[in-house]
Amino acid sequence: MENYPSSLDTVFQALADPTRRAVIARLGRGPASIGELAEPFEMALPSFLKHVRALEDSGWIETRKQGRVRTCAIRPEALAAAEGWLSAQRALWAQRTDRLERFLLDEEQGITK
Amino acid sequence: MNPELDLTISRVIKAPRAAVWSAWTDPVKFARWWIPEPMRCRVVAMDLQAGGAFVTEMAEAGGDFGPHQSACFLAVDPMERIVFTNTLLGGWRPAEKPFLNITAIITFCDHPEGTDYSSCVMHGTPDEASKHVEYGFHDGWGTVIMQLAKLVE
Repeated sequence: MENYPSSLDTVFQALADPTRRAVIARLGRGPASIGELAEPFEMALPSFLKHVRALEDSGWIETRKQGRVRTCAIRPEALAAAEGWLSAQRALWAQRTDRLERFLLDEEQGITK
Repeated sequence: MNPELDLTISRVIKAPRAAVWSAWTDPVKFARWWIPEPMRCRVVAMDLQAGGAFVTEMAEAGGDFGPHQSACFLAVDPMERIVFTNTLLGGWRPAEKPFLNITAIITFCDHPEGTDYSSCVMHGTPDEASKHVEYGFHDGWGTVIMQLAKLVE
């Protein structure tokens, strides 16, 4: 019954919405109840719950009901998947900068030699 | 900045700003560092003005040149800033859906030790972004993984 992030598409689709990004950012600091999560948003609770469900379905978060309170927590797997994607891009641009730097150093040495 | 979709790489390069600018804007120099060896890069268009085309091709070692990047400059402030996007082609014509939509803002600033060089890259919708995994792998990330694999073996 667990929702594992099925694909990067789903993981990133969930991030396309600012409310959901804000929820993920908040949950990055630790678990929170639906009430706490909904508080900053001027949004009817049913609408907010749709976002929570979307995050749950995409594998970003898991929710647990304790008594009358439903608590949400981030799923590290989704975070790792997203990090993987952006880390790849980060590496690409960092290496590009490495190569530019090396090119300029070689060029300089070529001129001074 | 949206931390889920954007990245910034900043570096102080020990070279004068004019040299860094030239390495970026001289197509012959640019082709020598934009893509990792042994792949080769060819600049097809680098029309350094707003709306100007920015097109590169790449070739595997020994292979034929094929498409690499097709983009449009949005802003070119001499010696200071280059902004381009692959969501547009030259003349601001909308692009066919690329691997991944990006807008890159490259900035050049003086620094006591050389040039403060920064690339801020904003990525498009998550759906598109996920595909850049392949793109990233294609364009250098794969090299790193291969190097790592060699070290581990």
